[in-house]
Amino acid sequence: MLDLAVKDLKEHKVRTVLTTLGVIIAITAIVSLGSVSAGINEMVTESQSIVGSDVIFVMKSFDMSDMSGPPTSFELESIKEEEIESIRSMSGVKRAVPIISKMLGGGFFEIDGIDMNEIDIFGAADIQFKEGGWPDNDDEGIAIGYPISQALDVGVGDYIVLNKKDVEVMGIFEEESGMYDMVALMPYSYAEDVFDMEGEATQLMIEPDDVSIVEDLKNAIEEDHQDLDAMTMADALAMAREMTDTLSIMTFGIGGVASLVAAIGIIITMYTSVLERRRQIGILKAVGAVRWVILKQILEESIIISLLGSLIGLGLSFFFVDMLNNVLLGGTELALITPTLAFGAVAYGVIITVVFSLYPAWIAVKTDPIDAIRNG
Amino acid sequence: MKEILFRLDNVWKTYKMMGKGVETNALRGVSVQVKKGEYVAIIGPSGSGKSTLMHVMGCLDSPNKGRVFVDGKETSTLSEDDLARIRRRKIGFVFQSYNLIQGLTAAENVALPMRLDGVGKKDALKKAEKYLLRVGLKERLTHKPNQMSGGEQQRVAIARSLINDPEAILGDEPTGNLDTKSGMSVISLLEELNKKEKKTVVIVTHDSRLAARADREIHIKDGNIDQDRTNHNHNK
Repeated sequence: MLDLAVKDLKEHKVRTVLTTLGVIIAITAIVSLGSVSAGINEMVTESQSIVGSDVIFVMKSFDMSDMSGPPTSFELESIKEEEIESIRSMSGVKRAVPIISKMLGGGFFEIDGIDMNEIDIFGAADIQFKEGGWPDNDDEGIAIGYPISQALDVGVGDYIVLNKKDVEVMGIFEEESGMYDMVALMPYSYAEDVFDMEGEATQLMIEPDDVSIVEDLKNAIEEDHQDLDAMTMADALAMAREMTDTLSIMTFGIGGVASLVAAIGIIITMYTSVLERRRQIGILKAVGAVRWVILKQILEESIIISLLGSLIGLGLSFFFVDMLNNVLLGGTELALITPTLAFGAVAYGVIITVVFSLYPAWIAVKTDPIDAIRNG
Repeated sequence: MKEILFRLDNVWKTYKMMGKGVETNALRGVSVQVKKGEYVAIIGPSGSGKSTLMHVMGCLDSPNKGRVFVDGKETSTLSEDDLARIRRRKIGFVFQSYNLIQGLTAAENVALPMRLDGVGKKDALKKAEKYLLRVGLKERLTHKPNQMSGGEQQRVAIARSLINDPEAILGDEPTGNLDTKSGMSVISLLEELNKKEKKTVVIVTHDSRLAARADREIHIKDGNIDQDRTNHNHNK
């Protein structure tokens, strides 16, 4: 009897379109917002596989309450040369790589000075280049992510200004290099000059002799150097996960409110539809429709509306996410519509619609045919 | 001796008015039997309970007290869905205001009870065409109800009542909204179905001339049978 549901929806075009619009907005909101947390989640997972799980990050301790202004303007105190050397000489340390890390463009991208022979600890050894290549350790140059080159409108051979010094762009990473899209890498020795940080580092990356001693080594470092914080990859991931979880809760909260509004729209539509159709329902019952047929007809209508709205919403989300990535974020893959998100959103759209249609459907089922036929 | 199609034993039907605790008895202990193939008119003033009697007979309504049997089977204890199935298969309803579904064509309306019985759209529409032909509306297959006259709509309703080949056709004031000529053609059609196809026909009317055409007149007054008589010399 699907044709009766379709006919009814067509007969009330305005009502159908408006209700569908509600679903579209809700699903677009959920998927678009959800794509950001899905994308960040994906990046966290990716970084886990790129950077070895045995790496320990060391940086100066800081108190959260010391942070003023936006987190992106926050700069860590640097680790001094003696400290670096002292850690390097600890037992169990295979290598300790100093890194000078700076946030630029209002925290939009990150510049890391690192010994070019040690970039594997950073997981950067596999980066492919679109243009140029890595600067050598004695070069006064930098390699940057493709979106950064787009944002700054520079190519290989051009110069970018860092700390009032001209730095030559020697390489541009391949497009869609994941977490390296927003990263620029330069030789450590050159970074020392550019940022006036002779012998210092903002952080140390430490590889232990063996993966089994990661935790012990981390504790030993913190014990020896009270002013340093050591963090294993597992700690870092846990922190990142906590952040993405918070983000997820926020985005789905907004999506939840949007879908609640849509659901109220649906319940009103279906309820009106049932009232307007009392006579039709009465006739159907009089000529022998069992209750299930009546219920099915109302649910069919709501499924059509929700499926249509969810699919259009999903399509729109792909468009918005593309815009977000390419226009606002300069060609990153930050926002990501995963299959789970896509299917989940459509399933959610349909389920919530059906659930909210149950009450109007029940009203329809309870319709007394005699009364409905007589009084319309 | 003909088989009994409808049997009501001491049937009471009470309506609560507006939920104010005021009760009206539409039927007060009615007992009546209708045999297969009979042509019966239920007549009475408005509010006498004649429509209620027909609704209870046709499983559209359940009694508060008493027992109802359709084709030997007790219906007063059946579930709502079981009653719907009996309406769909054994009884065809024709209402005063036709009660066609506005969005559907004549053929689709006629096919409805068959589709409800699980028959596919194509087969149901094919049979619907046959019945629309039978009631003289072969030109109106794809017309919507609002494109047809009252008489035509009522004939579509009759075709719909026939499509599942029911035992009986129950008409609730079937000519009430029609002019004399269209009304007569509808009555003739029902009479023809009774004579030629041996359908049991029960109509509710307040028109004594119409009632006089039936084989039997049941007069209802204040929820009781006032008179039940057989017409031997009716003028058809």
